[in-house]
Amino acid sequence: MAEDAKTHPDVGSALGLLRRFWVFIRPHSAWLFSGLAVIPIVAGMATLRPLLLKRVVDEAIPAGDPEGLRTLALLFLGAVALEFSAMAVQVYCLQRSGHAAIYDLRTAIFRHVLRLPARFFDKNPLGSLLSRSTSDVEALGETLSFGVFTILTDVFMVGGILTSMFILSWQLTLLSLSVAPLLFLLVRWFSKNLRALQLEVRRAQGVQTGYLTEQLSGVSVVQLNGQEGLARDRFAGLGERYLRATKLANIFDSLLYSVMDGISAFCVALLLFFATPALLDDASWLGEATAGTLTLGLLFAFVSYLQRVFVPIREFSNKLATIQRAAASLERIYGLLDTLAEPRDAGGEDPLATWTGQVRMRDLSFSYAWGGAEDEAEAADGPVILSEVDLDIEAGEVVAVVGRTGSGKTSLGRILTQTYTGYRGSIEFVLADGSAVELRELSPDRVRRRLLMVQQDVFLFDESAGFNVTLGEAELDDEDAILTALETVQAADFIRERGGPDCAVGERGANFSVGETQLLAFARVAARSPTMLILDEATASVDSLTEQRVQKAIERLLEGRSVLVIAHRLSTVRHADKIVVLARGKVAEVGDHEALMARDGIYAELYRSGFDEASETAAASE
Amino acid sequence: MSEASADSDAPPAETPRGVVATVVFVLRFVLRYATRYWVSYLFGFLALAATNWAVVRIPTLVGEILNELEAAGSEGLARSEAAADLAVELMVWASALVIVRTFSRVLFFNPGRDIQYRVGVDLFSHLLSLQRPFYVRRKVGELVSVAANDTQSVRLLVGFAGLQVCNVLVAIPLHLWQLLRTDWVLTLWCVTPVLLGGIYMRWTVSRFYAMVRSSLERLARLSDRILESFAGVATIRSHGAEEAAVARFEVSNRDYLDLQLDVARLRAFAMPVLGFSGFVGTGLVLWVGGQRVLDDELLIGDLATFTALLMSLVSLLTSLAWVLTAVSRGTVALDRVQELLDRDPELPEASASHTLDASPRLELRELTFRHPGRDEPSLRGISAVVEPGQTLGIFGRTGSGKTTLIDILARIYSPPKGSVFIDGLDARHLELGPLRAGMAVVPQTPFLFSTTLRDNIRLLGEDAAVIAADDAARPESGLLAGLTRGRTDAVDGARAGQARVERAAGLDLRAPDPHLDAVIEAACMGPDLAALPEGLDTVVGERGVMLSGGQRQRTALARALYRRPRLLLLDDVLSAVDQATEVKLVAAIRGLSGQDGPDGQGQAPTTVIVSHRTSVLEHADEILVLDEGGLVERGTHAQLVGQGGVYAAAHEHQNEDQGGEAGRG
Repeated sequence: MAEDAKTHPDVGSALGLLRRFWVFIRPHSAWLFSGLAVIPIVAGMATLRPLLLKRVVDEAIPAGDPEGLRTLALLFLGAVALEFSAMAVQVYCLQRSGHAAIYDLRTAIFRHVLRLPARFFDKNPLGSLLSRSTSDVEALGETLSFGVFTILTDVFMVGGILTSMFILSWQLTLLSLSVAPLLFLLVRWFSKNLRALQLEVRRAQGVQTGYLTEQLSGVSVVQLNGQEGLARDRFAGLGERYLRATKLANIFDSLLYSVMDGISAFCVALLLFFATPALLDDASWLGEATAGTLTLGLLFAFVSYLQRVFVPIREFSNKLATIQRAAASLERIYGLLDTLAEPRDAGGEDPLATWTGQVRMRDLSFSYAWGGAEDEAEAADGPVILSEVDLDIEAGEVVAVVGRTGSGKTSLGRILTQTYTGYRGSIEFVLADGSAVELRELSPDRVRRRLLMVQQDVFLFDESAGFNVTLGEAELDDEDAILTALETVQAADFIRERGGPDCAVGERGANFSVGETQLLAFARVAARSPTMLILDEATASVDSLTEQRVQKAIERLLEGRSVLVIAHRLSTVRHADKIVVLARGKVAEVGDHEALMARDGIYAELYRSGFDEASETAAASE
Repeated sequence: MSEASADSDAPPAETPRGVVATVVFVLRFVLRYATRYWVSYLFGFLALAATNWAVVRIPTLVGEILNELEAAGSEGLARSEAAADLAVELMVWASALVIVRTFSRVLFFNPGRDIQYRVGVDLFSHLLSLQRPFYVRRKVGELVSVAANDTQSVRLLVGFAGLQVCNVLVAIPLHLWQLLRTDWVLTLWCVTPVLLGGIYMRWTVSRFYAMVRSSLERLARLSDRILESFAGVATIRSHGAEEAAVARFEVSNRDYLDLQLDVARLRAFAMPVLGFSGFVGTGLVLWVGGQRVLDDELLIGDLATFTALLMSLVSLLTSLAWVLTAVSRGTVALDRVQELLDRDPELPEASASHTLDASPRLELRELTFRHPGRDEPSLRGISAVVEPGQTLGIFGRTGSGKTTLIDILARIYSPPKGSVFIDGLDARHLELGPLRAGMAVVPQTPFLFSTTLRDNIRLLGEDAAVIAADDAARPESGLLAGLTRGRTDAVDGARAGQARVERAAGLDLRAPDPHLDAVIEAACMGPDLAALPEGLDTVVGERGVMLSGGQRQRTALARALYRRPRLLLLDDVLSAVDQATEVKLVAAIRGLSGQDGPDGQGQAPTTVIVSHRTSVLEHADEILVLDEGGLVERGTHAQLVGQGGVYAAAHEHQNEDQGGEAGRG
């Protein structure tokens, strides 16, 4: 049960979680309540049917009354029609409210995740995020539309039937239901084992599918290294595990199914066996009162009730498990929704409206362990990436930052765009009137409107080229504006060759070369024309010709704005007004190319040995 | 991957084929996989027949008892004993039903599982034998879905559907027979609405499946969108495009919701029709049957028999509707599985076997190669000779055919007849296994498995321990611990298989491995290992995400060197490595090519190395410069720089960018 406790919260906390979920259901509660309102009708009609049967057998037929028979039959058909109509309404209304709430939840999760800070994505693999936004939500949806409310229906149904049975004859009821407690225990035992088995089945299947996916993704490696036999044996081994679990589950499942199926027949037999003397004798053992009231019609009614009353018992334990699974999903979903998102601009005046592009950094220190961490004490340790950096970027100036891997140059861009928070010291954005705003006082979305960072890895969405320029933002979505942006970075030609901005870029930009992908990313910048640009130069291997085009596009982008280049290419550095050399998080040298070469320090050494092309991302996560 | 070839290789559409053809197709498959379980199926079928006999017998007995009671009236005990006896018989039948039904299900379902397992293993090992041209056309995700989901549908076809079809074949005639025997007039009355309901149900279920299929498609699209947006979250964030992304997401989300509501409507209003018709039938039993009791043409207990059999018939028809659809889905799935199983590996016939015991001599004669489905050849008329132990450099820009050349030498693509010779033998007709055993290939984008670094280099399947560890985290409860012991057996099985491999390779996995150490040294991985939390035992994460691009390339290089290859093919393997490391790696590779290789055997492997950096190629015995598949320049580094062509220009450009190359002769 330890496992159960871990993955399935108990029923109490499950209800608590569902209560919290009410926020999402409330807007659709009209559907919910309509669905709930008809439940008594469904249960009432289901209870009424056997009673009509009883009257047919006990009254109409013995009396030889065709009129009465017809009336009762019509009543029966009427009850059936009403029951099924009410049930249809109930199912539809409940599902509708469930799906609608899930729709809202899905959007809420998506919106929330997009606003989570970069730190969150460092720690959480995409796979688990995806499963929370899809499979967990699906599991919840399943429960909302079937599990929770059908249990209510079952309760009403069983309640109605039992009441009716007791009123008709409590002795016969007790008699025929005498096996019910045993049945209940049996079902519980089966279900518990089945649940654990199904967990094992899913796990075994997951491992096997994971192995399959990986081996097929790397099939060339497997083949080139002659690993086919080994892979096959491993796959078969994993398959055997799955096979064994499923076979065992089959046996349990079949037994449960058959027991449930046999039990109502058994109860009918019990009823008839004991009812026989009762019906024929004075049946004193069932109590004096019974003798007269026990009729053939009563047996008809009971036989009919017994066929229905056990069904919910079979389903109950499954439904409870579904609810618990949903609660576990909900718990994970809330774990995600409760993660603190980046603050968002509250509206009002844009404090950066008159920003000149000038930035003043004073005494700037930074560690990835600072900020974000809830616990300040824990935040204290962690490598310091930048320490006591003083750096000025004048309006319209191009500043290049160079340094070896791990010198902190990429981190600088991440701090300025508030991708990572928690810097110490001051970073001021100077406005036209000479006053300044401190970066940490600004909301990240405000900053990013004016200060754009272009990453090393260009990410293209599987949409049109135009979409990849606007990223779907309505105010940028104008064919002329897109073409102008493409023109600016000399990407218009190859886009036109492929049919204009509507051409598809393919999954992750598969239809474009690395260089073209770069140019598209630059077009994004051109379309937004930010006040300041941070350029994290790509280290990807691009052939010489494309590289020249990329270089030209960069030059155009630099025009007329403040630029911080995290430089990997010498040619870019030469265009810089100022070069800042970082070493171990400190500013080691500042000056232009000639001055720094003359100084014959770190820069000169870097220059001679070629620029560092090792991946910066590795350094960031150190 | 041209449009045309993608189309022609698309999985078969669900084209309706004739019933006979379908039956033949399914039977052929069943003969191939299911015949060995005939004993199980035979007893399963017997149990099924017994089950149905009991199912029909039980309501008949109830009716008979009620008839006895009715007849007995108040005449006393004498007659009632007959009813009591019948009630006892009923109990016996009820108990028997539990047993035979369990058997019928287990005996039908478990062979289905076995078949699924065997089909899965066959499919996987066949997929491993298929070559690159196949994998270019088909996405891995799609293949995984066939192997994981379609084999499930096949299992349902031979297990569940098999049971249900047999069940229905036995049960429906039995039910009708019992009904007709009791009263044929009433049977006609009440079975009519039920059969109509059944036909409607059949139609509804196929509509339902169509909806479910498209809702799964929309869900997949929705998941794609979510995954894509999350993967591109850095881009969305830095451009402040969050709201636009949400709006884009909402479109797919709304699409999905709309379909979900359609499904809900169907489920609420159309699905219950069959159940409804069953109750209408019951109403008719009351009405018409009651009248017939009044007319003395029917006994009153028979009404109960009728009602119960009718309900049982309704559930049979319901399952029939589902099963028919499951069968058609299963057939489609079987089609997809069979299509993969039947696929030819597309390898030319192997007429010779050649083991690379010594470094081979390579010869290209007028090699022209066109990728399947392309109009333009990727390589045109390339000729070259590489003597044993020599190094051939390949230079060219993106798309010039460098990688294609490596792929052909590695036999990832088969070379045309008479164009590639290894030790004088036509490579096209050499057996793959022995050839590849002596070669090592490092592709441009290295692929790492999500196992330990050690295993990624040695590729001996050591990660069984990783799986076992994951498994041990799972606590077990009571009885189940005993019942699922097989699970641990399976893992043990994997370990036992592992032990076999170890014995075969003559290695103890944990023993010190000097060759591994040498290889790590050669690939400059020492400092990286020191920085990793568990050194060589670090699990590198999915496709090596824990490592940087350079580290991944060097791991792949170490993997190649570990194999002590006689033929080494390197495809632009140093592109993500920094300058200083590049110098060391080039030296290490040259060290192999020098007089004494690390294996001490004295002979260097024949090497083909592709790069777009001239610094990597300087020491090659010959360099081929490719452009658009053709040879534009050839010669040694010095000759090419002297010629002042494409190579010299690139050399110039790269030198400038790398700071004049002052310190590097």
